[in-house]
Amino acid sequence: MRIGRFHTAKHWRAFAAAGLIAAAALVGSAGCASKEKLYLYSWADNFDAGVLDEFERKFGVSVRYDTFSNNEELLAKIQAGGARYDLIQPSDYMVATMIRLGLLEKLDKNNIPNLKNVGKRFLNPVYDPNNDYSVIYTWGITGIAYNKKYVTDPIDSWQALWDPKYKGKLILLDDSREVLGMALKKLGYSNSTQNESELAAAYEELKKLLPNVLAFDTDNIKQKMASEEGWIALMWSGDAALAAQENPDIAFVVPKEGTTIWADNYAIPKGARHKALAESFINYMLEPEVSAKNYESIGYSNPNEKSYPLHSKEYRENRMIFPTDEELARTEWLVDVGEKLPLYDRYWTELKSGVK
Amino acid sequence: MNPDARLRGLRLYAWAVVAFLYAPIALIVLYSFNASRFSAAWGGWTWKWYASLFRNDLLLEATRNSLMIAVANAFAATCLGTLAALGAHALKRRARAAARGVFYLPILVPDIVMGLSLLVLFSRLAIPLGKWTVLAAHVTFSLAYVYVLVAARLEARDPRLEEAAQDLGADRWRTFRHVTLPLLSPAVVAGALVSFTLSIDDFMITFFVSGPESTTLPLYVYGLVRRGISPEVSALSTLLVVLTAVLVALAERFRRRP
Amino acid sequence: MRGPVWLLWPGLAYLAFFLWAPTALVVAVSFARRDAYGAVRWEWNADNYARMLDPLYLRIFAESAGLAALCTLICLAVGYPLAYYISIQDKQRQRRWLFAVMMPFWINFLVRTYGWILLLQNQGVVNTALRQLGWIERPLSLMYNPGAVLVGFVYTLLPFMILPIYVSLEQIDRKLFDAAADLGASPVRRFRHVTFPLTLPGTVAGCALVFVSALGLFVVSDLLGGSKTMLWSNLIQNQFLSARDWPFGAALSAAMMLFSAAVVFAGYRLARVRLGEGGIG
Repeated sequence: MRIGRFHTAKHWRAFAAAGLIAAAALVGSAGCASKEKLYLYSWADNFDAGVLDEFERKFGVSVRYDTFSNNEELLAKIQAGGARYDLIQPSDYMVATMIRLGLLEKLDKNNIPNLKNVGKRFLNPVYDPNNDYSVIYTWGITGIAYNKKYVTDPIDSWQALWDPKYKGKLILLDDSREVLGMALKKLGYSNSTQNESELAAAYEELKKLLPNVLAFDTDNIKQKMASEEGWIALMWSGDAALAAQENPDIAFVVPKEGTTIWADNYAIPKGARHKALAESFINYMLEPEVSAKNYESIGYSNPNEKSYPLHSKEYRENRMIFPTDEELARTEWLVDVGEKLPLYDRYWTELKSGVK
Repeated sequence: MNPDARLRGLRLYAWAVVAFLYAPIALIVLYSFNASRFSAAWGGWTWKWYASLFRNDLLLEATRNSLMIAVANAFAATCLGTLAALGAHALKRRARAAARGVFYLPILVPDIVMGLSLLVLFSRLAIPLGKWTVLAAHVTFSLAYVYVLVAARLEARDPRLEEAAQDLGADRWRTFRHVTLPLLSPAVVAGALVSFTLSIDDFMITFFVSGPESTTLPLYVYGLVRRGISPEVSALSTLLVVLTAVLVALAERFRRRP
Repeated sequence: MRGPVWLLWPGLAYLAFFLWAPTALVVAVSFARRDAYGAVRWEWNADNYARMLDPLYLRIFAESAGLAALCTLICLAVGYPLAYYISIQDKQRQRRWLFAVMMPFWINFLVRTYGWILLLQNQGVVNTALRQLGWIERPLSLMYNPGAVLVGFVYTLLPFMILPIYVSLEQIDRKLFDAAADLGASPVRRFRHVTFPLTLPGTVAGCALVFVSALGLFVVSDLLGGSKTMLWSNLIQNQFLSARDWPFGAALSAAMMLFSAAVVFAGYRLARVRLGEGGIG
């Protein structure tokens, strides 16, 4: 007869002790701070750590920065009742959806006088006219990123992605709205059309693109481009700028048919416990010096006009961070497509299951 | 083939499988010393990621949370699951199959459904999200795995051993403590290991039921993915592996003394 | 002589409290409708289930089930011998082996996957090594294909096969083997008629756990396969997130759960038939 390992009471007691200690540790670690806290919920590495520290010092509070990695997960969590955060950072179309679902607090603009520092172009956006619920944090546009070593033809149109030369070397964002939107723009339609025949046409175009696709990837696309797994990609301008820092052969272009413009925004979920502090945070981040320091560090586009003179020359002149006006004129915001969303999803499903 | 050759072949096979399991880990350990932050190219040997790891408060807190929750989860899930399997084993065949069906349910539910629905449950009951809600969720699916493991062990067990103990005069409790439980111990240990592992690596469910200040390691790492996984995380993973190996070695030394 | 039945109640009560939520969600919401902006509209209908009968979705179900089945078979083939080897070690070594098998899975999933990417990508270790050796000129495309996905699945799920089988194997009395050998049985016959039947509970449990987990796994296909497949689990994920169609997602989940339950039930039933009475209940 074989006796197992726990054949003495000693071992069982040790096991029980471990469990109790862990449980006690859990209980004991239930917060014991005395300062007011700001619960910030955003993308990772989205704030310069020094800037957050200074805010904590200046206002005598503690900033708690938690991260999410996906807009839709953020929405699902807030929708299902998880709002314990004071400040969240949804993207443009997500702000519109959250407003419609009644998930956001109205901002008290008296607490955000620095709102006037934001460039006119970024105030009163189509997804939140009047900035009642959101303030822009960063923005960018989607375009074609390519590796100059391997892609020698001049690129100026979305059609370039379909070139058979790039078979197995194309990376697309793993985002149904971005990919379908790109095909729609290529055909001259709106990227948020609700017209079924336009959508069908876009799907047919994309079917032809599939043989070129190496991977669909939103999160690791920078690394894939920098390490030259892929030669050409549908990519966000901010990401392209970061990839180009790693690999100087990477270039970025805004196709002539036009493209999508996007923005990440500050918003306050309904029921936030430190609303005024959150608004002070937004205001503080819009101070020109703070703003310049933050965006220099994180590398995304700064909407704060007053801070431009304070930025480095490199930053100001980087066309991936600041596209030209002419390029911006060709952009369009993604808008919630309401009842047609399942249709978009259906086409996306067909595309993905058609790839071999 | 003679038995020795067979055994040698089997040993070779076992080590090959282990090599398969550790191949990516070995690379992670190696790259935790890579000076280059992003690319696959080797940028030189450095200890700086280990240094900056200890300055990264958020990462350290996430690790602490993950370890505490995983240990507590292993304890709770193992207890509940083992007891349940023992209890169910006393039932008649059909009832036992029904019990098994109930205990398989957490394994069958997709993570996102489990996460979202538990979130809805907690918010309807106005339970604040935090480490306890994460633990509760983890125990829910972990105890199912423990149940399955212990039940598998019980199924093929020889009931005569217990009968023998009782013939020798042991009451139910003594039989339980000195015969049943030791016989179950490999399954219980396996269950604890699985519970710990599932908890320390869970993302989807934890994402939905966690609140501010209950970030776990997977949540932290997933958040980083956009920026590229920092070598600090590789350094942390290396430390975890080394620490565990050391702990296991120490535990063995302790046991050998008496 | 078995343990008292009331031991069942704590676990059962715990599950009853925490599980009625997901069950209710799946059952109730799957019969509701999606409103224009993605909230749930409570209008009783069975459209979501009818929608699943579309060939597009049936194809996805079949592909996912096929992948899960293949993964289970490979895990069984790879895992059984290892479980056997571990079970014939002495107690202390067994413990070490168990820890050794589980430890890689304490490293975060993304970090482990990153390790695979470092191994398999074009500039990765494997390709670089092969090129240095002069065996290839251009890098082999080892990632973003179904092969990489399968390897990733097997890698992730192997412990769930090894542990249950080990648990079953370990309790087999060595004397039974000696008896069989004395009676003149060859190793193969011994395995077929003694070892395997005795480990059937563990094997079935292992296969069940791996199969069900494989159905629910989507991250591996996304990360190692370039997200180029739409699996059943991806579909469910999409409904709750990007498509914001919780009712359809709930229906898909219900279908997946019913399917998995049927497969698991069939597996246990088959094992019982094989073992005869006195085997698995």
